[in-house]
Amino acid sequence: MSTKLSSITKKKTSEKKFTPRIVVFACNWCSYAGADNAGVSRIQYSPNFRIIRTMCSGRVTPGMVLKAFKLGADGVLVSGCHLGDCHYIFGNHRAIENFERTQAIIKTLGLEEGRLRLEWVSAAEGPRFGQLIDEFVGEVTKLGPSPLNNSNRRK
Amino acid sequence: MMDAGRHPNIRLLTNSELVGLEGEAGDFKAQVRRHPRYVSEELCTGCGVCGRNCPVEVLSEFDAGVGKRKAVYVPFPQAVPNIYILDKENCTECGICVEKCPRDAIDLDDPGKDLELKVGSVIVATGFEVFDPTVVKAYGFGLYDNVVTSMQMERLLNASGPTQGHILRPSDGKVPRKIGFVQCVGTRGEAGLQYCSRFCCMNSIKDCMLVKQHAPEIEELKIFYIDIRAAGKGFEEFYQRSLEMPELTYIRGRPSKILEDPQTKDLVVQVEDGEAGKINDFQLDMVVLSSGAVANKTNQKLAEILGIEREETGFFTSGEETGSPLESTKEGIYLCGCASGINDISDSVAQGSGAAAAAEKHLAKLRIEEKKEEIPELDVSGPPRIGVFVCHCGINIAGVLDIDALKKYAETLPDVVFVRDSLFLCSDDGQRRLQDMIKKKKLNRVVAAACTPRTHEPIFRESCARIGLNPYLFEMVNVRDQCSWVHTEEPQEATEKAKDLIRMGVAKARLLEPLYKQSIKIDRKVLVIGGGISGMRAALDLDAQGFQVTLIEKEGKLGGSLNDIHRIYPQDLSASELVETMMQKIKNSKIEVLTEIEITDIKGFIGNFEVFTSKGGLKVGTIVLAIGGELYEPEGDFGYGKFKNVITNLDLERMIRDNQGDIIIDGEKPTTVAFIQCVGSRDLEKNPACSRFCCPTTIKQALELKKRGTNVVVFHRDMRTVGTRAEEHYRKAREMGVRFLKYSPEMKPQVVGEGKASGVELLEPALNRNLTLPVDAVVLACGMIPNEVETGRLQGILKVPRGADGFFMERHAKLGPVETTVEGVFVCGTAQGPKDISDSIAQGSAAAAKVATFICRDTIELEPTTSIVDADMCRGCGKCVRVCEFLAPKLVEKSPGIFVAEINQALCKGCGTCASWCPTGAITAKHFTDRQVESMIETFLTEAV
Repeated sequence: MSTKLSSITKKKTSEKKFTPRIVVFACNWCSYAGADNAGVSRIQYSPNFRIIRTMCSGRVTPGMVLKAFKLGADGVLVSGCHLGDCHYIFGNHRAIENFERTQAIIKTLGLEEGRLRLEWVSAAEGPRFGQLIDEFVGEVTKLGPSPLNNSNRRK
Repeated sequence: MMDAGRHPNIRLLTNSELVGLEGEAGDFKAQVRRHPRYVSEELCTGCGVCGRNCPVEVLSEFDAGVGKRKAVYVPFPQAVPNIYILDKENCTECGICVEKCPRDAIDLDDPGKDLELKVGSVIVATGFEVFDPTVVKAYGFGLYDNVVTSMQMERLLNASGPTQGHILRPSDGKVPRKIGFVQCVGTRGEAGLQYCSRFCCMNSIKDCMLVKQHAPEIEELKIFYIDIRAAGKGFEEFYQRSLEMPELTYIRGRPSKILEDPQTKDLVVQVEDGEAGKINDFQLDMVVLSSGAVANKTNQKLAEILGIEREETGFFTSGEETGSPLESTKEGIYLCGCASGINDISDSVAQGSGAAAAAEKHLAKLRIEEKKEEIPELDVSGPPRIGVFVCHCGINIAGVLDIDALKKYAETLPDVVFVRDSLFLCSDDGQRRLQDMIKKKKLNRVVAAACTPRTHEPIFRESCARIGLNPYLFEMVNVRDQCSWVHTEEPQEATEKAKDLIRMGVAKARLLEPLYKQSIKIDRKVLVIGGGISGMRAALDLDAQGFQVTLIEKEGKLGGSLNDIHRIYPQDLSASELVETMMQKIKNSKIEVLTEIEITDIKGFIGNFEVFTSKGGLKVGTIVLAIGGELYEPEGDFGYGKFKNVITNLDLERMIRDNQGDIIIDGEKPTTVAFIQCVGSRDLEKNPACSRFCCPTTIKQALELKKRGTNVVVFHRDMRTVGTRAEEHYRKAREMGVRFLKYSPEMKPQVVGEGKASGVELLEPALNRNLTLPVDAVVLACGMIPNEVETGRLQGILKVPRGADGFFMERHAKLGPVETTVEGVFVCGTAQGPKDISDSIAQGSAAAAKVATFICRDTIELEPTTSIVDADMCRGCGKCVRVCEFLAPKLVEKSPGIFVAEINQALCKGCGTCASWCPTGAITAKHFTDRQVESMIETFLTEAV
């Protein structure tokens, strides 16, 4: 099924330049601060993502990620503090467990693994945040539109 | 830093200098010179227009000279306050910045300001400087491009540094394949500094790991060292992990010279191999000099102003001699961090808290209970009436985003009844208008599209609260730091993104609910468990601040392991005198001391603990764990137990304590005594940790024996005499003829003999055969292990986690050394990990300071953004209990066999992790509810602009 879908998406991309829509969950203490730091350092990077702030990466439920995919997100990035730096000590370990659960589900759904990522960005890593977004946008662009990305947009 | 900047009781005076101090403890007058910043702190928003337009570029001090900055600049990315400063020395006064500044914040004629402050005490935390390695001519720093300092390497490795975290060698910008680290540059006898700079070994090991992470193509990493001093909690384990890196080799020896190939700029490091008696050359692309720490140059002037003394090394003289390491030589002035010597981060943090506790002694009388004015709450019932405020932030937002388009778009969003833009929403004027409009338009939700909630949400929430709008009905949309600033070249896409973000913010705002801070009454009494030096210090500091303390000790008398110790080195202080002085102080205080007592159970939580003991119950609000550690029992190691003349360091210490004359071991005065280091420590099977105190202890004991005419040989792996004094004693011991022989863990020395130990056998690498050194007695330097019975029991009762080393685990290795994950429970001294007496005392004071922050009021206010359980939906599976490390959720039996989770609001930190694991959706993470987050996802993906 996924090969069929990807041939459709390939056709689509050739028709119109594809700009992916990506949801980024960023924890308040490190990653969201890292994204702010990118701003303070005036790092320029791709605008094709929207950040949703949560207090901890451990707060992001599989349901939230799946909802994003269901509604047509082309990629989802969950980001938190580096291991050992979590404001809540072990929240990011829980995020790993949540991520693994979610990754298993999206594979079953036939979505490419590369559409969901878990990354650690510290408050001082603005440049890395920018780089990460560019990289992820690039990868998702290569994958093309999500097979679930179609009729959900109410124009 | 940001916490300090935002704290209502902390006033930050940056770019300022103390120029005079009069008066005495409790009543000082401090003269402070505020140097001109030339940029108004009140007006500057940190927008950066001035810096971008400034034509002057100079080397950045923060980037250790490897990067550049403008003449008007923010000193470093996370500076507090995050505003600009003008460097008059390099400024050409062209006036461009003055003209461009949208808020007229720059004044090139700023005269600065003089202030007089009334203060009760003074804390000196002036830090250190890095030794200038140009002095060591043989290493060519300043001449060879590719010889850098560890500080410069630090900037190269930093993602926000001048190379964005890429390691590029300065001469050609290429990625180096072979990097060498030279340890002890400027320290341990070189260039006049006798002491050891303590943290550089760990720093180089860390750098090697980071280099490997950033540049996996690295081929060779070399550390040239004398001793690897991984002395600190978890440090030895870290060092052991580094040994698994195939690229990293440790080479023992201090390089004599570094040479440069003038064409390729490659380097050659020459090191003498003492064992083989030849000089080895190492070809490297880049060399990092681990420059030691030196006292701040300004210490001299500051010492004169404060009227306190300094050491020969330039560091301030502390009361270490009298068991008060945080006191200066003048009452009311305290020292912490590297002001009084060299400390690593966690010790500096502990000392900082400890100094605060000491400083509070003079302020206790001045403590005020803040009063709150009651503001009538606005009625927010009925459907949402949302106001959207779009900030221009000068041209920071408006210069990129189409503000009019954003406003028009916002008006179309559901429940939005009012939209307005503002040049600077955070200015007094901007906030006043925001408040006026909330009242006039009867807004019950507010969305601000502006900068980042991390800095400005508290400000806007406060504005809302002041006029009675529940502050949790405010939502912030980040269209500056995460939009206009990072998509400057794509204004159209940026505007589209901002529209989405505003729509998402409005979607969440529609679902916001008023939240209320709860306050709980707390018991202000404190329980200190353990009457050793650390516990005594904590109790005394709390008592001095007027708090009620109960100090309990399981033995019959206070003092803990100090009772076994003769003299404390390197301070050369009598242990019994120190214990005596402290006990006297405790006698004269209001501290309740209970000895020969055992804790049987503790129930409750922060503010409300109920403690059950063998001598009755007591109620306290906070608990300090100061139960200490134990020495390793070397049964069976190195002939201990088999030969009577093999004793432990503790046995010897007792002998020295009780005996001014000759030391008699197994019936005779020994001519030669061998010490064996790292017994029951740095041992991968028994205890991988380094116990930190044993090397200095051995030096002390060796000197005691030497004084009594006994020859001493020390078998060691690395002599870890870190810091400003211990290293000097190590030198003295060598000068007095104590011999030091290095052994490796694979080739441990063997104690041989019949009936009694008569020699120590060790492989001599140069001869490649075993040599036996005749000895009359052997002393085993036993490491420290946790007190298994007590630590285990308290872990069971209080749920304070223990680390892999078995000691109580602190909340954060660097930033929270005396806090635990259990709210209201603190840890100090050797219960947290092996450490020496000074560090134990400092931690005792630190724990006292942390306790005081809780009990200075009789209630604590709880953040309302916690998680709660809907009992009707909970099926009692207990998942939340398992995922929470703060012990907030608990299963409660509601009716026979029916369990329901309850979250203790005093313990919940609001991370929301439990909510993400709850299978039935019974848990709500307030302010970040599933509905709120999902509404943002939905509106982003389904309602495209």
